[in-house]
Amino acid sequence: MNESDRTAPLAGYRVLDLGGPLALHCTKLLADMGADVIKIEPPSGDESRRVPPFKDDLPHPEKSLYFLHFNTNKRGITLDIEKPDGRAILLELAGKADVVIETFRPSRAKELRLTYPDLSAGNPGLIVASITPFGQSGPWRDYKASDIAGIALGNLLYLAGEPGEPPLQPPGEIAYGMASTYGAFGIATALYHRLKSGRGQQIDVSMHECAGHIAGYFIPNYGYTGAKPARASRKGEETDLYDPYATKNGYARIFIIPVEQWRRLVDWMGRPAAISGPEFEKMSYRRQHPEIVVGAIAEFCRRHTKEELYEEGQKRRIAVTPINTAGEFINSEQVKERGIFVDMEHPVIGKYAHFGPVPRLSESAGEITRTAPLIGQHNKEIYCGELGMSNDDLTALRASGVI
Amino acid sequence: MSKLPLEGIRVVELTTGAAGPTVARVLCEFGAEVIRCETRLRGDGHRGEDPKLWNMKPDFMKLQRGKKSFTVNMQTPKGRELVKELVKKSDVLVENFGLGILEKWGLDWPRLKDINPRCILIRVKGMGCTGPHAADLTYGPNVGNTMGTTYLWNYPGAVTATAEPRTQHPDFMGGVTGAFAVVLALIHRKKTGRGQWIDSAQVEIGASILGPKYLEYSVNHREPQPQGNRSLTAAPYGPYQCKGDDRWCVISVYTEDEWERLANLLEKSGLKRDPKFATHLQRVRHKDDLDKWITSWTLRHDPYEVMELLQDIDVCAAVVQDVEDQFKRDKQYAATGFLVNMTEPEAGDVVTEGVPMRLSETPGKVRGLAPLMGEHTHEIARELLGLRDQEIKQLEEEKVLY
Repeated sequence: MNESDRTAPLAGYRVLDLGGPLALHCTKLLADMGADVIKIEPPSGDESRRVPPFKDDLPHPEKSLYFLHFNTNKRGITLDIEKPDGRAILLELAGKADVVIETFRPSRAKELRLTYPDLSAGNPGLIVASITPFGQSGPWRDYKASDIAGIALGNLLYLAGEPGEPPLQPPGEIAYGMASTYGAFGIATALYHRLKSGRGQQIDVSMHECAGHIAGYFIPNYGYTGAKPARASRKGEETDLYDPYATKNGYARIFIIPVEQWRRLVDWMGRPAAISGPEFEKMSYRRQHPEIVVGAIAEFCRRHTKEELYEEGQKRRIAVTPINTAGEFINSEQVKERGIFVDMEHPVIGKYAHFGPVPRLSESAGEITRTAPLIGQHNKEIYCGELGMSNDDLTALRASGVI
Repeated sequence: MSKLPLEGIRVVELTTGAAGPTVARVLCEFGAEVIRCETRLRGDGHRGEDPKLWNMKPDFMKLQRGKKSFTVNMQTPKGRELVKELVKKSDVLVENFGLGILEKWGLDWPRLKDINPRCILIRVKGMGCTGPHAADLTYGPNVGNTMGTTYLWNYPGAVTATAEPRTQHPDFMGGVTGAFAVVLALIHRKKTGRGQWIDSAQVEIGASILGPKYLEYSVNHREPQPQGNRSLTAAPYGPYQCKGDDRWCVISVYTEDEWERLANLLEKSGLKRDPKFATHLQRVRHKDDLDKWITSWTLRHDPYEVMELLQDIDVCAAVVQDVEDQFKRDKQYAATGFLVNMTEPEAGDVVTEGVPMRLSETPGKVRGLAPLMGEHTHEIARELLGLRDQEIKQLEEEKVLY
């Protein structure tokens, strides 16, 4: 096969991104897989431009590293979709798009007259992904929810944190991320369906329900046994065995499921008498005696660095991992050798290492082709070049605050 | 109702744990036929060690519902040949064993491509299929360790690393991302006729939502530190303690309008508003006092009252729910039917999470019960592999179909 056949899988598809932060990871996934994602910002700039961190800690619409991460690889235009001219232009763009992504509350989409029927009126093949906090139906459908709200309702916040302390939010926006990921899967599936049927459809993603999927197995286990784990009562639970252990220089986790791994760990530790008995080969027994098991492993870990434990543990086929900082991750041999970060340059931020496309498809890999758009960077290219407007039109739209 | 979008796609699953099974489960919900290969030599992590409990585990039901179970012993040459026959008649192979095992079975991409060039192989690995740590053994809770999640999921200034809960979100996000990649490869195949293989590293999928943290390191040359429940863009922000034992409600206020409505509500209930909370800047500066003021109100109310009172005035509030709340008090889950009841033949009634997304033309759904160990072995051996009953019996006696 020659190189030119290796196009990214979504090359040739156009996506209009009307979404807020809830859909940022979705549009990043699509852009990294080759879609032409056009980010539509209000003339004052997208709200994610106000989110820290900023380059050199200087808050500025073009210096948000949050915006940079999620919007690299997209084109950007400004458009006030609440103004009549703005709405008309949006519908014209929707007529030429394959996918529109929006995160309006259902009542707001109606107010704006930007529901799926409105958007797809001139384009029956259009796929509209509505990625919203609570989905299009149900009593909470018009409630507001940020990422931490999604995580709270999904039972992930309740479990996080130390006993006696408040629940603790995770780093990274996991509820937004999960809803976005489902949205991307739904869009791909609808595009696949369209190849056969020619028809578009609406995709209704509920962040609240997506968050219900990520905490683990608490829903099926509670439904079956009534078991209700609590943040403040970890003693005697499996977490006791799986909490990270202190090492000479930080922490490491040792996560043992198959009995072979347990035997290898005990051998590595020099078969301490306290945990060498055959009864300890049963996970259920280990869970019943966490103080013995944790005590022996903790004593062993204290004598090593986290890197020693990681390298030697994995060599011995035991699931040991170091608790890394972000910098330790970036500088790890694994990350370097896989080339996860791609060198990019932004006109304001300068050179940066951008997190590249994942996962990797062997024949139709994703790619990073452009940096994040400046506010309105592609207005002329899209309004004049693709919609056929004149420079005078552009000036008039600017004067009336539409772009 | 329209056909499901992935109807006609056959998926063979050679997996253990959660991330691999989740890829196939998501494909199954949108119409794919999934054949899960497993063996009676040992139950996988979610069936468990004890054969008497193989068909009894609710966590297994969550991961495997709607699939078929085909018992085959991959230690035997005949078993491997049978799976190759299956793969020849399938569209997708999902695997997530340690690196090297698929190679040992002769199903890695260079050889799979010869067996079925239209097949799509997805290899789900903690660290990916290349690099010095490609062969690492990792379970869900390991994945967040290497990429920085565990370190950062903590209170500011924390000295221990144990605040992160026992969750495996990279398993689930990795699974759905894997399903996304498989459908992209199906789109590519529809256009070119060719299959391909996908290298899916859970650590990279989990890390992709931490991008701003990595940029803080590489652009600002500073190691990001745990932020706890801190926010600079919203105030009030975070979990506020409510009436009851360990009850909390999250509040996040981003605009002046939201703040005015919230503060007016508190004033109406008799609490005096401090002028030092007048602007967002002041609220961020006086976060501790602000939090005390808000808590003096939230402590009077059940968390669901807080959520409803605030949402009624269009302020973001959400109960910090535990699993019991999700069953008993979450009105949205109750209304949308998110919690799905299934009556399993041996385990009895089991509840699992529904499909969190609806496609208007081709909605997904939970398509069936989780399979008993080996439930579909005969069906698949007869109908797909064309074996006669006598041959099947013999292969079972030889512990090949086992």
